[in-house]
Parts: sequence; C-alpha cells; structure tokens
Amino acid sequence: MTSRSKELLFLLPAMLLTTIGFAIVFVRQAEAFELISLAPGAAFLGLFGLLHVVRRLVVPAADPYLLPITALLSSLGILMIYRVEPRLAAQQAVWLVVGSVAFVIVLVGLRRFERLLEYKYLIGLGGIALLVLTMVAGREVYGARLWIRVGPVGFQPPEFAKLFLVVFFAAYLDQVREMLTVSTRRFLGVALPPLRHLGPLITIWGLSLALMIFLKDLGTSLLFFGTLLALIYVATGRFFYVVVGAGLFAGGASVLYRIFPHVQLRVGIWLDPWQDPLGRGYQLVQSLFAFAAGGLFGRGLGEGYLHLASGSTIIPALETDFIFSAIGEELGLVGAVAIVLLYLVFVQRGLRVAVRSHDDFARLLATGLTAVFGLQAFLILGGVTKLIPLTGITLPFVSYGGSSIVSNFCLLALLLAVSERAAGGAPRDAAGRAALEAGVRTGTAAQDRPGRAAGARTGSA
Amino acid sequence: MERSIRKLFWFFTVLFLALIAQLSYLQVWAAPELRTHANNTRAVESEMRVERGSVVSSDGVLLAGNRKEGVYFLRDYPVGDLVSPWLGYSSLRYGRSGLERAYNLELAGETDALVVRSYIDLLTGRPHRGADLVLTIDSRVQRAAVEALGGAPGAVVALDPRTGAVLAMTSSPRFDPRTLDEDWASLIEDESRPLVDRAVQGLYPPGSVFKLVVAAAGLEEGVVTPGTMFEDEGSWLAGGYRVSNNDGKVFGEHDFAEALTRSINTTFAKVGVDLGADTLARYAAGFGIGSALSWRLGGAAGSFPAPAGLDTAHVAQASFGQGEVLVTPLQMALITAGIANGGTVMVPYLVAEVRDYSQIVLEKTGPTRASSPISEATAGEVRDMMVQVVERGTGTAAAISGVEVAGKTGTAQVEGGESHAWFVGFAPADDPTIVVAVLVEHGGSGGGTAAPIARAVLRAGLER
Repeated sequence: MTSRSKELLFLLPAMLLTTIGFAIVFVRQAEAFELISLAPGAAFLGLFGLLHVVRRLVVPAADPYLLPITALLSSLGILMIYRVEPRLAAQQAVWLVVGSVAFVIVLVGLRRFERLLEYKYLIGLGGIALLVLTMVAGREVYGARLWIRVGPVGFQPPEFAKLFLVVFFAAYLDQVREMLTVSTRRFLGVALPPLRHLGPLITIWGLSLALMIFLKDLGTSLLFFGTLLALIYVATGRFFYVVVGAGLFAGGASVLYRIFPHVQLRVGIWLDPWQDPLGRGYQLVQSLFAFAAGGLFGRGLGEGYLHLASGSTIIPALETDFIFSAIGEELGLVGAVAIVLLYLVFVQRGLRVAVRSHDDFARLLATGLTAVFGLQAFLILGGVTKLIPLTGITLPFVSYGGSSIVSNFCLLALLLAVSERAAGGAPRDAAGRAALEAGVRTGTAAQDRPGRAAGARTGSA
Repeated sequence: MERSIRKLFWFFTVLFLALIAQLSYLQVWAAPELRTHANNTRAVESEMRVERGSVVSSDGVLLAGNRKEGVYFLRDYPVGDLVSPWLGYSSLRYGRSGLERAYNLELAGETDALVVRSYIDLLTGRPHRGADLVLTIDSRVQRAAVEALGGAPGAVVALDPRTGAVLAMTSSPRFDPRTLDEDWASLIEDESRPLVDRAVQGLYPPGSVFKLVVAAAGLEEGVVTPGTMFEDEGSWLAGGYRVSNNDGKVFGEHDFAEALTRSINTTFAKVGVDLGADTLARYAAGFGIGSALSWRLGGAAGSFPAPAGLDTAHVAQASFGQGEVLVTPLQMALITAGIANGGTVMVPYLVAEVRDYSQIVLEKTGPTRASSPISEATAGEVRDMMVQVVERGTGTAAAISGVEVAGKTGTAQVEGGESHAWFVGFAPADDPTIVVAVLVEHGGSGGGTAAPIARAVLRAGLER
C-alpha cells in the first residue's frame, strides 16, 4: 500500500469517532436518532478529506500518520467541546476551517522551507515582538496575561510566538552549531564554548524569566525554555548544555519563586491541593475527581458530570486547559491513555522526520516543531493530572481556541514540508549539493540515509 | 545528531509513560478514595440522575415523586407537609431524614433486591429507576388526623391493632419539604422544633393513660378484679408521698372498673404499690416501654425507672403515669393496640411493599407479633373497663354514635406549665380495626382536648 493510501485509511478512525461520537451525544440529548446526528461526521470527513487531497498533491511523500493523528485529536476535541458548550463547538468548527486554510497556505508557501533561513533574524524578532505585544496589550485571564483583542477576536500571541521562535532557534543553531561543539577554553575541567555563541541561550533564558514576570505565564516560558534545551542538545549532542541550561532556569525560577506569590501559589496547589479544596485548589481537585469518576472505561460519551445546576462547568476552563479532564471522565483510563499515546506517536513520527532529514536545518526544524508540540501536550496533560505543577496552556488540537488550532495547523504544515523533503527532496547541505552536482553518491549522504539513493528526487518538489 | 534525536525521543517516552502511570493511579488506584471524598459532589449528582422511587399511600395517593429538570430528577412532595414528620426529606444540601433516609437504598435503586432489575436495565438500555414504596398509611385517616390536631403542638398515631400497620401518624409543628432548603435556617433555630417527629421521638409522661398498663398487670397478676372494691378519700399517703386525685375530687366507695372510668389516682396507687416495682417494671417492659422499635424509622425507646431505685412513693407515682415514666405517642398507641388485639402487641410497620417500577414486589412486610404481655381474658376485661370510660367516664368526648368506642384519657402534669392532654382508644370495641393515640402538649385535660381529636381519627378510620 502506498503511504498516501495509508493516510486515507488512517483517517477513517477519526471520521468514525466524530460520526459515532456526535451521534451518541445527540441521541442522548434528543433521546431519538435523527439524520442530523451524522452531519458533524460528514462535515469532518469533507474537511480532512480535502486536507488529505491537498497534502497528496503538494507533499506526496510526507509522513502519512501525522494528519490522521491531528484529525483524531481535533475530532475528539470538538466532540468534548460540544459536550461542554455546543456554541463553542460551532466556533471551534470555524477555527478548524481557518486552521485548514492556514495549513494549505503554509504547506504551499513553505514547501521550500529553507527560505526561512534567510529571514531568521526577522522571524526571531517577530516572535519576540509578539511576546512584547502580549505584555503591553494583553489582558489577564485566570491570572495569566495571554490574550490581546483584535477587533472581535481574542488572539493569543504566545501560540504563534512559539512557532516563530522554534524556526529562529533552528536556523540560528544551524549556523552556530559547529562553533558550539568546538570548545576553546576549559573551566574546572569542563570544556567551554566561546561565550559569544552562548548569547542566544542567555537571551532566551532571560526572555523566559521575563515571560514569567510580565505575563505570569509559567507554561509558555517553560515550553520555550524546554524546546530550546532540546534543540541545543540535538544540535551539539552535548548533555552539558542541558545541565547548564536547566541549572540556569532552575536558579532563575527559584529566585522568582521567592519573589512572586503566583508562582508559590501554583507550586503550593500542586504539592497539596487538598489544603483548600473549595478555594485555590478547587480546579485541580475537581479535575482529579473527574478522572476518578471516569475510572477504567469512563462514564461514556455524554454521560460525564461536566456542569453545575447553574449551567457553568464544574471545572473552570474545562473547554481549554482542562479538556483532558472531561475526556478522562467520559472515556476513562482507556480513552485518556489513547490520547497520551497519540501524542507520543506524533512525537515519534516528528522525530523520525528529523532523523531522516538530510541537512541540519531540516533536522533542527523538525526536532524543534516536534519538541514544542510534545512538550506543550505534556505540560498541560501533566498539569491537570497533578503530575507536575499546573500551567495554563492549551492541549494541541484538542482544546478550544482559535490561536491554538491555527498555530498548530501551521506547525503541522511545516513539519509535513520537512517530511516531504526528508522522504524525497534534495539534500541542501554543501556536501550533498556537491555530490548532487557531481552526480556521485558521497559517503556522507549514504551514511545519512542508508539503504536509499541520496539525491534520487521524486515528485515535483 | 541522529543519536541525540533518538535520545530525545526516549526522553519524551519517559515523560508520557509517567503520564500514563499517573493516570492509572488516579483512575484506578486512587479512584475509590477520590470518589468518596468529602468534597466530591459527584456522588450526589449521580444519584440525581436516577429517578428516585415514589412513595404512595395504601389508597394510592402520591406522597413523594419527582419532577424532571434537564437530565436531573428533583424530589417533589405533592402533599406538602401532610406526612413530612416521618416521610422526611431528601435534600441535596441537607441530606435525608425519615423514610427518605431509612429506605434510601431502595428509593435510590441501590438495594440488593434490585440487582437483577439493574442488570436487565443495563442490557435493555432502559434508564435505571429506584424502587417505589407502598405504605400502610391511609391518606384519608392521615388527613383527618392532621386536621383534627390542627396547629396544636402534639402528635397523633393510628394503627390497625390486628397487624401493627400504621394508618396515620402526624406531628405538629412540622416542616414543608418543598421549601426545606429555603426554610432550613429558621427550622433549626425554631424552639418548637418542627424537624422532630413527636410521634416517634417525643418522650412524654403518660399520666393516666399509663393506668391501662397498671390495670392490665393487676388483673393479669390476680391482685384485683374489675369488681374489687376500693374506698377513696381524695388522697392517700404512700411512703410519705401524698397521692391526690385531679381537681381534688373525692370518689368514696367504688369498684376497680369505676376507678379506671373516673381515673381515680389513689386506687391505682394502691394497686401499683400492691404489685410492687418489679412487677410493674416487668409489665411496662412487656408492653414495649424501654425497647427500641424494630422498624427502620427508629424512634425513642421510652423508659420506666429501674425497680431497684423505686421506693413506695415513686411506685405510687408511677402507677398513674407520673414521676419518671416516659413514653412516645407511638408506644402508647402500641400498648393500646395490645389490649385491643387480645393481649398481643404487634410490630408496627409503615411500608407495606417495596416494588420495582414494573410493579414487581421486591419486599413485603406482614404482621409480626412483638409480645404478649397479658392473656386474652385480661385484655377483654381491660377493654370492657375502657368502654365505660367513653360511655360515661372521662372520655365521653370520644364517643361515636352507633359504634362502641373504648378509650382512656390522660392529663399528665408537667412542672411549670399546663398539663399534657392524652387520649388512647380503639373502635369498634368488640372487634377493633383502629387504635388511636393522641397527645397535645400542654393541652390541658385529656378528655377535653385530646378525646375529640381521637374521635375524628377513629371515625375516619372506621369509614375507610
């Protein structure tokens, strides 16, 4: 079976889930089956069918698993959002369409993603500008400054800033990689790289802390910093940087912990939410109750206890940060573990793209995109299950929210573009290019991709 | 670089495995504890999704049902406060009381008897429902009792003496279960204690209605016969304590039957002292005073003082129901029912049947004998004496034309207040189908205040 048909096949579960899921929820509400119950499934089928066709045309050799995983996650997401508030599900559907359009634009526009290299500083500045914009114009929701208003639409710049910064990190590291691995000085027996190349590391460290200070946004700063560390590790292959980076972050964070009460509060709630189960610990405690209510197999779609008699959700922010709690309650451990594994498979496919890529920038870009995606999922999944302190951040493709959906569709498009190149595109680095020009298979290229002819271009890329 | 990427993948694997471990802990290992946590309102919520069983009177009147709001069932009490003292309430905020509490497993559909039904529901996809209760209460007798008692603080109990089935039971003041949540603050503050069911929980000195126990004991023990002659001088000295009649009356020469008819304290003090503390205590216990009722609704046990601590003065006092003797209105009704039923006291019951929603009977309560403290002959003699009480004695206000009514009045003295008014009785006297006990707190004389109430209830009971 070709990888393209594989994708179509793997899209089927998502379609079935949406169709059957919505039908179950509708039937439970109306106590009768109507043909309209099948409409969301049909619409979803249409949307992802279209995306599949676009992908087939534009990046035919790209990974066939990523799009179906996205479809599964977003179908489950919109289904749970419908359970929380049907009005929001309609909006989410609009965001999925907008996200799909963005997906197509990015896929078509950045098929030659290496063009991003030329604009790396502009992109980096753009990312920082988005964060500064949030600091200046943002409004606080749930104690974190994340939103700015653009006309009638709420907009979360950090969701997009993460993409800009990943591209910048990857591009910058691609450039300074060699110099970071060559140590010039030794200090206490440890080889040190030239300090000036550590500039970005220090800058981002400061930026993450600034985020915590000004945006009170623990989640995003942790996300940026974690992604940067992952990239530096992959770029240099030296664990030393991870240790130093983590140490720097921990040092800064512990100072901030002392200074800022909201950081202490978050950590305090995590350590003992039962101290104030009706007040500060309420959200987390109710989330734990939701998971417990779900048990092994869950209470069933449409059977969860999501709302109070007043109509508001028991868990505040259920449709965004706490959507996983609702999934845990209605689909149980079985459903929750399935979601976790979907993210793990996404990470595996993403890193596989990185491994299979021919040049450093592609590798770093794929790694960065995958890391930021996986880390974001882990931070919020761990937060709502009390594995780690809770940081307000969305669950990619599942949570309600336009910025999150659109930015993650862009992320997916970029990853597929890299994947296409890895599977069939030409190597861009000097050795590969030289080899191509000479028409000779070089040792480097062969080593990079054993068992496959380097430079054998397929498709129209 | 490839190696680093692989290591990064393993790092992510560890992170996500930790997530799966934490999920397993929450959803399987810690789940039972979390589900029953004090701050977890989900248990209440899941109960609200199950249609709670209804409660129906023996004549088919709905006493407790549900109204549906969204996916939730909210408890509804169509008859308001008519039966609230013992039916109780089922409130999300304040929990449950009365039958709602005693039969919660059945009503909520969690009783073992419903296991098969639940399984069938699961298989057929029918919504699970709680079991219904069919009571022994007759709504007409109940309404008569409530109306006759009116707003006076007190209690009325009506039973079928042959079975122990409770026909009517009320207490005043009481609460309206429909507005419980709003009224709660004032209900618990209220000094008249409207949340207490006086019929089963209220302990009162029985006064002269306790003479029935003394009479039964005296006749059974052979200490007296209805014809035994006594001389009353208005007062009698017992162990240094002066026993006197109500209102200082002097009755002169009379027989024992007359002593009950006129409720002569001196004569009963003499008989009581003759019987002695031990024998009196034995008969009080035989009629159920001092033992908890063997029904799920609970209630006060009542008390008769320990014989060892009783000197002659106290025995004399106890013989006309004063001193340290305490009973509930329900207990007085049961003692009277024992006499009406030929000496055999039956176990009271309020719930005749528990049925699932397809009307299959899951549990049926029948008549159960509690004790037989006296012989049928003795019971007959006491009954004949009680007929005289209503015909020409202190209880004439309970008389019903065309029906022979047996009864006994009581006017129990209370320190620093008006006496409690009592009346116990049954009809028809030769083949009793209904027994009634009435207590009006600080109501004055039993014959004046309590007997007319009893009459109204007896009439309703005979007409049913």
